[in-house]
Amino acid sequence: MIKIENLHKTFGKLEVLKGIDCEIKEKEVVCVIGPSGSGKSTFLRCINLLEEITDGAVYIGGAQVNDLKTNINDIRTEVGMVFQQFNLFPHMSVIDNVTMAPMLIRKINKKAAEEQALELLAKVGLKEKAYNYPQQLSGGQQQRVAIARALAMKPKVMLFDEPTSALDPEMVQEVLDVMKQLAKEGMTMVVVTHEMGFAREVADRVIFMDGGYIVEQGLPSEIFSNPQNDRTKAFLGKIL
Amino acid sequence: MDFLFNLRWDIIWNYRDLFLQGIWITIVLTVCGYIGGVIFGVFLGLGKTSKRKWIYWPCKLYVDLFRGTPLLVQILIIHLALIPSIFGQSLGVMFSGIAALILNSAAYNAEIFRAGIESIDKGQTEAARSLGLTQGQAMRKVILPQAFRRMVPPLGNEFIALLKDSSLVMVIAVNDILYAAKVVAGAYQRFWEPYLTAAVLYLVLTYVVTKLVAYVERRFSIDYNPRKNKEGRVAR
Repeated sequence: MIKIENLHKTFGKLEVLKGIDCEIKEKEVVCVIGPSGSGKSTFLRCINLLEEITDGAVYIGGAQVNDLKTNINDIRTEVGMVFQQFNLFPHMSVIDNVTMAPMLIRKINKKAAEEQALELLAKVGLKEKAYNYPQQLSGGQQQRVAIARALAMKPKVMLFDEPTSALDPEMVQEVLDVMKQLAKEGMTMVVVTHEMGFAREVADRVIFMDGGYIVEQGLPSEIFSNPQNDRTKAFLGKIL
Repeated sequence: MDFLFNLRWDIIWNYRDLFLQGIWITIVLTVCGYIGGVIFGVFLGLGKTSKRKWIYWPCKLYVDLFRGTPLLVQILIIHLALIPSIFGQSLGVMFSGIAALILNSAAYNAEIFRAGIESIDKGQTEAARSLGLTQGQAMRKVILPQAFRRMVPPLGNEFIALLKDSSLVMVIAVNDILYAAKVVAGAYQRFWEPYLTAAVLYLVLTYVVTKLVAYVERRFSIDYNPRKNKEGRVAR
């Protein structure tokens, strides 16, 4: 599904990713953990080219993302993304947030788009908020709308960039529950997160990043119970 | 304060047609200059947000040039040098006047548009692009609708400034309000009456425009929260 080869990313003189190799299979749920500044978010943002790739290659479904001949917009329609800060469109009602891209890009008509949107909003438990504006919603509700918005494009992969880090503690669970449900339904997911409980319970594989490298990866049970690398041990020791 | 009792308003009345024409001309100058300036300004402003150097630099040079020199000088250069050089003849003072106001206000509007666009959080563009929208679609559907609300107040100020600045085209003998005043002053060698009349006319026009701008602001510069709208709160 996703294949990443020798991925490098530098910001000016700072090298954030120093050669990442990684493959993500269909229906796999991968959680990326690691200390801040380890490059996890940058890694995720390189997958759908929100960050320009300095060197190396990313393939999604066989197409090379960072090839000038590839239409990146087509690829992005297949890759949903959820951001730490939700980034809902504040000038649109909740339902318009969800229907905008399918109507504009998939060219489906308004009625079909709204039916689909209401279904998705029901799925994230927010059908009754469809005609509210984002500002009227709590953080957790906004993030669930953001997930519905991404799902409206019927993506093959979902990328989550610390989706619960900007939330009040009591709202974290409602978002994680939606993500768990998605994972159960077989969505391919890459989740950058600090929620170790979620990673342990839901992930098929956990990737530990530090200093721009993938230091260690494996089953959640292996990583959390029996980490091999010293840096993994130190990191988990601090947070668990 | 004797002069106040010796004012001869009859001379203004005698020239009322000239003043009425002047009001009309001032309105035409301002409205045409503003509409043209906004349209041209959008493109300049977008150009100034471009990452492509060959788009950015000409736009920046243009804006710096027109904001860095007096409008009066620009009017003279455009009417006496630029237009005759391009077309081989003058195309009339009205054409030159409107052209100068468009070119000048576009530079100021460009900065308003640039600042408005850049004030929108980068996450908005990223969210739109991650859904598969092109840069243009993201601009039209997500960035500009939000930026526009923030641009309304400064664009309103620009309209009022342009209304007053339009009086400078008198220097190439466009028959606007100030021109009418000057004709009357020359004919009677009296200065209080005609220039005071001109000042009052501009004051009335700017007052009307101020009210108009305030209305547009209330109408468009709203918070996205419908509950707050009813209380008339303005945008964040």
